[in-house]
Amino acid sequence: MSPMRYIVEGKVTSSDIETADRLSRRRARMIPVLAAIFLAGQAAYFSQDRAERLVDHVKIGAWLIWVLVLLVVLETGGGFIHSKKVRALINDEITRANRQRAYAIGFWTAMGVGIGTYVVAMFEPVTSREAIHLIVTAAIGGALLMFGLLERRAHRDG
Amino acid sequence: MADELRNRLRDLRGERGLTQAALAELVGVSRKTINTVENGVFVPSTLLALKLARALGVPVEEIFSLDQ
Repeated sequence: MSPMRYIVEGKVTSSDIETADRLSRRRARMIPVLAAIFLAGQAAYFSQDRAERLVDHVKIGAWLIWVLVLLVVLETGGGFIHSKKVRALINDEITRANRQRAYAIGFWTAMGVGIGTYVVAMFEPVTSREAIHLIVTAAIGGALLMFGLLERRAHRDG
Repeated sequence: MADELRNRLRDLRGERGLTQAALAELVGVSRKTINTVENGVFVPSTLLALKLARALGVPVEEIFSLDQ
């Protein structure tokens, strides 16, 4: 993703800085909570016996929507109702660096869970949908948690 | 052995009577970025280092130096 998308154009005002600071702190608080709710929901899903019932299809559909929403939050940083300048400020250099580190954690989490699932599949049948569900859930959950923690640390260390 | 980047951003900002928010406004970044650069948590890009130097009216080497 090009960093040019996040370059602040025009004069930044103190109001923009304050708004960005407030939004960024709120995001740093919210993202780990979102990640925890998402992971807890998926843990509950995997702990139940699943069948090809209508309710299971609804749960899979809900999971897919969750995943898409969380990916958008992670990649864009949110704040869509705010001005372009404020959005650029809440996605400035430190946030982009934190996001890259979070993506790396997501990648390694996906690798770990993927390898683990492969090993489990040698002893117990695992459907392709279950494997994808596990890997994607772990990768997004790991990346979101890391992003939230890094953002919180950046605010705290400041 | 990794080189450590030292910076005098907090001192230089203080000498000019600027708050972190005021410097952030001059440079066009968030206050969090100024915080993390000052604390050595984040190593800024060349672009941001040059913007900081311009905002403070000093050469970039006066803000950042390698730990000898």
